[in-house]
Amino acid sequence: MIGLTADQIAAEIEAFSARLKQGAQTLAEVGEIEAGVSPRELIYQEDKLTLYRYQPRVEKPHPVPLLIVYALVNRPYMMDLQKDRSMIRGLLDAGLDVYLIDWGYPDAGDRTLTLTDYVQRYIGHCVDILRDRHDVDRINLLGVCQGGALSLCHAALYSERIRNLITMVTPVDFQTPDNVLSHLIRHVDVDLLVDTLGNVPGQMLNFAFLSLSPFRLAGQKYVDLVNIFDDAQALKNFLRMEKWIFDSPDQAGEAFRQFAKDFFQQNKLVKGEVIIGDRRVDLREVVMPVLNVYATQDHLVPPAASKALAECCGSRDYTELSFRGGHIGIYVSSRAQREVPPAIAAWLLAR
Amino acid sequence: MTSQTSASNPGVFDVELVLKQARAYLAFGEQVRLFTDRLGETAEAETDWGQALQQHFTQFKTAIAQSAENPNVNPELAQLWLLIADAWSQTATTLGMATETIPEALRETGAWRAYQRTQSDYFDQLRDTATEALDLMEQRLNERVAAGKTVSSLRELYNLWVDCNEETYGRMLRSSVYGELNGRLFNALLRCYARPEAQS
Repeated sequence: MIGLTADQIAAEIEAFSARLKQGAQTLAEVGEIEAGVSPRELIYQEDKLTLYRYQPRVEKPHPVPLLIVYALVNRPYMMDLQKDRSMIRGLLDAGLDVYLIDWGYPDAGDRTLTLTDYVQRYIGHCVDILRDRHDVDRINLLGVCQGGALSLCHAALYSERIRNLITMVTPVDFQTPDNVLSHLIRHVDVDLLVDTLGNVPGQMLNFAFLSLSPFRLAGQKYVDLVNIFDDAQALKNFLRMEKWIFDSPDQAGEAFRQFAKDFFQQNKLVKGEVIIGDRRVDLREVVMPVLNVYATQDHLVPPAASKALAECCGSRDYTELSFRGGHIGIYVSSRAQREVPPAIAAWLLAR
Repeated sequence: MTSQTSASNPGVFDVELVLKQARAYLAFGEQVRLFTDRLGETAEAETDWGQALQQHFTQFKTAIAQSAENPNVNPELAQLWLLIADAWSQTATTLGMATETIPEALRETGAWRAYQRTQSDYFDQLRDTATEALDLMEQRLNERVAAGKTVSSLRELYNLWVDCNEETYGRMLRSSVYGELNGRLFNALLRCYARPEAQS
């Protein structure tokens, strides 16, 4: 017997409606949704790029700066969402001097930007600025997701400038059997896409991500919202995440073309066939110490896609850090705050 | 699915009826799709649009009536869909020609027609997957009943529906057939808006 009676159902619907009503009231009271909380100063700007330095939280931060290279998709405030969910704050607390590249929102004027612009020019300029500011030959680099792939390219081409490399949920082998994104994009005519649309709309990519799990991400998640309608703080946290999820910059057309074709469709990064400028990216040139952080339940970048780095990078000091969680949870879950930044900092400070 | 029917206790929620309703909905959706396909073709060819519309509604209702013979579809629910089709029929004839949302120049291109055909294949795939999810849900409910467990709320039932759909949808997503079909659909849509030099 399933055991549901009409009376039970009526009571449940009534309770649900009452919660909805309460939710409307709570929503009206939550106010502005801010994200990106740690104090920071603008250091450098070039085109849409902005380089920030976060205000250190120890008297004498580590002399070698850490540059965070975020993905081109979505916005980097995911790393500093709120005070109790901030990977950047965790790194600052551990004594690191943290910088971050904000790629901004590409527009029609950025349509012709290529991966060479991102890897050589933009990252290169930021690395040089930090080397000058801190009077060091080599800096520490931390790449996030797609930003990790870009960082790997930069580190392979300019290994003499990078002291330590950290990759977080970074795809390296784009064609592992469990990589759904790669499976889907393989059949897309990327040339037709870019030639037709120019820049690739962020909302289109967002739709693609949501369509990987539509019943949960476009339905159940919002039904479950009633569970926190009486908790203004939890609701605010939820809305902050929503703000981030739907804050999707468009992708510069030519850079997208190359990334989709060379990385996803032809898996050239592991094959050593990616060309940046006039140089070939050979991951065996990634000879500095490497910390590869991946999430065991990552549905966008499966662990195998990240762990492939072990086989193809040239570092003799290669370490993996596994986090039990998903692609986003690794930044925002409360367990991640306790586990990930201290582990990264400890690894860095030992090198 | 015998113990959760309402025959023994009319006060108890009938899950089997809900599953049948969902199957009827999917069958109804298929008929709606065929109906709109035919309507699109008619709109291009016929001058007496009102008469053509009535003919299509008649065909539509016949198809719905036939689907009521499917043992998985509740006949009372099929009757309900027929009533809905009647209401639509009456409303549509008073409205006249439907408003065009797709520019006529685009509608007449081979690219748009190719997209419509691919979209139709895509919807077939989604419908099959949704039907599979209902079968899986029925199986899971039977397993619960066999294990002496109950469903204590609509939310629990909804969550089970989500789980089953995610499972079958995820399987579909990973299949080579879907990967190819999804790419074909996306490329077909792009070709509708492609600049001439971008056409392959």
